[in-house]
Amino acid sequence: MEEHGEFLIPASRNEVWRALQDPLVLKQCIDGCEQMTVINADEFECAVTVKIGPVKARFNGTISILEAVQPESYTLKVAAEGGAAGFGQGQAHVQLHETNEGTRLTYAVEGSIGGKLAQIGSRLIQSFSRKMARSFFESFSKQWVA
Amino acid sequence: MNAETGIGASALRKEDARFITGKGQYTDDINVFGQTFCVFVRSPHARAKIKSIDTASAMAVAGVIRVFTGDELTADGIGDLPCGWVVTSKDGNPMVAPAHPPIATEFVNYVGEPYAFVVAETLQAARDGAEAVSADFEVLEAVVDTGTATSSAQIHENVANNQAYDWELGDKDATDAAFAQADHVTSLDIVNNRLIPNAIEPRAALGSYDAASQTYTLYTTSQNPHVERVVLALFVQVAPEANLRVISPDVGGGFGSKIFVYAEETAVIWASAKIGRPIKWRADRSESFLSDAHGRDHVTKAELALSSSGEMLGLRVKTIANMGAYLSTFSSSVPTYLYGTLMAGQYKTPAIYVETQAVFTNTAPVDAYRGAGRPEATYVVERLVETAARELGMDPVELRRINFIPTDAFPYQTPVALQYDTGNYAASMAKALELADSDGYMARKAASEAAGKLRGRGYSCYIEACGLAPSQLVLQLGAGVGLFESAEVRVDVSGSVTVMTGSHSHGQGHETTFAQLVSDRLGIPFDSVNVIHGDTGRSDYGLGTYGSRSIAVGGSAIDKALDKIIAKGKKIAAHMFETTDDQVDFADGQFSYAGSNEPKPFAEIAGAAYIPAVYPLDELEPGLSEKAFYDPSNFTYPAGSYVCEVEIDPTTGETDIAKFVAVDDFGNVINPMIVEGQVHGGIAQGIGQALLEHGIYDSSGNLATGSYMDYAMPRADDLPDFQVDMTSTPCTHNPLGVKGCGEAGAIGSPAAVMNAITDALGVKDVSMPATPQTVWQTIQQGT
Amino acid sequence: MKINITVNGAEQAVDVADNALLSDVLRDALGLTGTHIGCDTSQCGACTVHLDGRSVKSCTILAGQADGGEVTTIEGIANGEELHPMQVAFRANHALQCGFCTPGMIMSAIDLVASSDEPLNAEQVREGLEGNICRCTGYHNIVKAVLDAQANM
Repeated sequence: MEEHGEFLIPASRNEVWRALQDPLVLKQCIDGCEQMTVINADEFECAVTVKIGPVKARFNGTISILEAVQPESYTLKVAAEGGAAGFGQGQAHVQLHETNEGTRLTYAVEGSIGGKLAQIGSRLIQSFSRKMARSFFESFSKQWVA
Repeated sequence: MNAETGIGASALRKEDARFITGKGQYTDDINVFGQTFCVFVRSPHARAKIKSIDTASAMAVAGVIRVFTGDELTADGIGDLPCGWVVTSKDGNPMVAPAHPPIATEFVNYVGEPYAFVVAETLQAARDGAEAVSADFEVLEAVVDTGTATSSAQIHENVANNQAYDWELGDKDATDAAFAQADHVTSLDIVNNRLIPNAIEPRAALGSYDAASQTYTLYTTSQNPHVERVVLALFVQVAPEANLRVISPDVGGGFGSKIFVYAEETAVIWASAKIGRPIKWRADRSESFLSDAHGRDHVTKAELALSSSGEMLGLRVKTIANMGAYLSTFSSSVPTYLYGTLMAGQYKTPAIYVETQAVFTNTAPVDAYRGAGRPEATYVVERLVETAARELGMDPVELRRINFIPTDAFPYQTPVALQYDTGNYAASMAKALELADSDGYMARKAASEAAGKLRGRGYSCYIEACGLAPSQLVLQLGAGVGLFESAEVRVDVSGSVTVMTGSHSHGQGHETTFAQLVSDRLGIPFDSVNVIHGDTGRSDYGLGTYGSRSIAVGGSAIDKALDKIIAKGKKIAAHMFETTDDQVDFADGQFSYAGSNEPKPFAEIAGAAYIPAVYPLDELEPGLSEKAFYDPSNFTYPAGSYVCEVEIDPTTGETDIAKFVAVDDFGNVINPMIVEGQVHGGIAQGIGQALLEHGIYDSSGNLATGSYMDYAMPRADDLPDFQVDMTSTPCTHNPLGVKGCGEAGAIGSPAAVMNAITDALGVKDVSMPATPQTVWQTIQQGT
Repeated sequence: MKINITVNGAEQAVDVADNALLSDVLRDALGLTGTHIGCDTSQCGACTVHLDGRSVKSCTILAGQADGGEVTTIEGIANGEELHPMQVAFRANHALQCGFCTPGMIMSAIDLVASSDEPLNAEQVREGLEGNICRCTGYHNIVKAVLDAQANM
């Protein structure tokens, strides 16, 4: 599955960059995220409950920040295990561009799933991942709208 | 003969009485005292190394009794699941089979492969326990694609190029020479789509061990309980054969998928002795999708050489067959001896050369599924013939007619090993054309066109080799078992009869058909015959039901036992008549002698057999019970002509089967109602393959079609009414003149449907399944 | 929790787990194994029973939801020794082979016929039975049986 999109955020590139590294911000923006623990500056552990079609499960995962080019771009790598429900892995390549109205954030997400999720929920994965990515960046950009 | 229940009558089925009232006894309906429940922990990865398995948290779940891993089975001396047919490659080497432990130990090689199992007091506790088992996997690159498997990452340490064997059949030089002379060559690249059998009863097992007698009893959903028993005893070494009883009670459909010996029943019967309690397992449908052996999955290049007048001169076929991750029980024979040998079809093609390369992938094992090899062969031949006719501008019926093996050529030796005993292909074709109202086709096509629809017509003239099989021939070809059948006919004191058969009914209606045979031959009431099957504790070693073998082999064994019963009855009667047995006749249920006007009914002789007052016991043993083992001298060769008309809506790509005609030659028929039912079911599975069904793995080896929401099973509104009829050339080498009917529909129908669709669309090929999306895209591309 | 259900005319008080399905209770607690389990996504229809007179897939109903209800299973449709016309028609038309989908198919078919004001034609029967999968018969004889039975119902 692949997914991409962009958002315009009324904030400077540095502000956005900092927020993108902040585990608290990440936690708020990930739908169903119950816990976010910092392992080190570039690695977090999280627990997320998601429901995809008939499969509802709690996933434990790690989020790592790779290829960080401050304050322009980074890659967020996620690997999550949902026990009997299956597993997922993916990465989001995020780029920040300065514009007159603020920062334009573009993202490209790719990922794969396995286990029960892949067997029962594969038809739903495309729309689910689109929704999940969109909702993350939407929540993320809303921080500056309020 | 009794008009309602004799041979040739459509007797209503005895077994229905329990099935329509909910009284059937399927494996999951059986509960025994002290039983526990088992859930398997299955690999979520298509290919991975198992670094460690953590069972501790599962053991902590309330109600969990034990968690077993594969290492424990290995340590206990439990062997691999074997493949029972050794195919030899072109170079003379035997096939290469990877190790196949029932429960994975070092590596998992397909999604759904079990690597542990949990036994618990309740099913819920077993499920919770299974969820708590975790393993540390090192995920490896998965091989999924059939066509490129040999050049992909090596899956098994001992299998170079992921190739099990590279097999050939036929005369390569003669075939090449035929192509060199040909005026025209038709070629097709054919994919035979992977199917998932989906008997509606999921596989199940209930194993128990009785410590007092040291005996094991396994209830399981098997098409061949004796084979299950012998494999578990001799190869897997769960228990000595004498101490293991396998019972296949009512079984809810098999279609091949329940022939094989699987990990689950092996684990359940083994572990029942370890915990000292019975263990029950029933697959969830999701598990069936992942772990039942799948069917088909061939990639083929096929070429047909013809003269300008349409004479078929040569056929060249090169197939890559996907075996999945391991060699399942009979998998190796499917794309070889059940496939290459059928390439002559109904035609006198003089030169044929077939090559089959069997490859491993990280997918569920592939083995026999209804028709097993013969649907794939028919698809190759009949798609080629129809395409050739179009390319030569000939009527596809006419092209077939001029190439049919003529009736005076039987017995006919094909260039691909088989010798057909009898047939009349033109007769089936003529009847099919008549039933299909061939003359009215152009008017129907015009009407469809006027309504904005595309109409097409396709034919398929299949042949199959079934009634498996002459034991010595298949043993020579690498089979590990003989393929005879057993029967025992026990006459009761009152003259009623109990028949024990090694055949197994999982929908075929043996309790009725065999009773018709017995009642007809002995002249006793149909209701006085009771047929017992599916229990190694009650019937002699037999080979079970698959390959349309029950009536041809199992029925013939019963017939032979009946001969012995009648012969002994004559001896007893001779003493009563005070004559010799060669003076006694038996007909219509009565023993008679020209010197007496008081014939003896069968029941009277039965009584006399067990109350041995009238005959000297030093000459004749008391009792009337006889056994027979029947080993056929050849395969049987059912054949038929199928005609399909489709109407396609070009705006949606949806295909409607407007007409489906099947005319089959099954030789003599015992119960036409049951035979027609078998044909209906086979056609439904064939249409399912052509239009709907496709087992798809994604590029990482996940089964994307793992439920009924994604795997399109034919439903009532997907199928038409079928027009089914028969012709008959009785089999020449079995006593009943029967051929077998179970697989025909699935063998003949896919090519008929696809020939009709390609005709409607005016294209050379459309890949199966021809879903609305595929058809619509084909129309858009206009190719 | 405790539920009270009437099954095939007999009142039953059954202790069930909160997450128990009606199909599990019928099979395991009440021993009515004629109701079969063929899938885990409510697609195959082998578990079809009648709840308060309408056909339901008993694997999609929690036992608790059936509390106070009237359930009829395949074991309860005959009138003593006298079979239901749908049972008779299934046998007479060879509408079953392995018999596994049969109980659910019969229960669906009875509701299909009973809830239609007009006599059904073959196409309507095919559409009406779309929720029940049979792998053996190709449906040809099932359709015949349902059309046959509706004349006697």
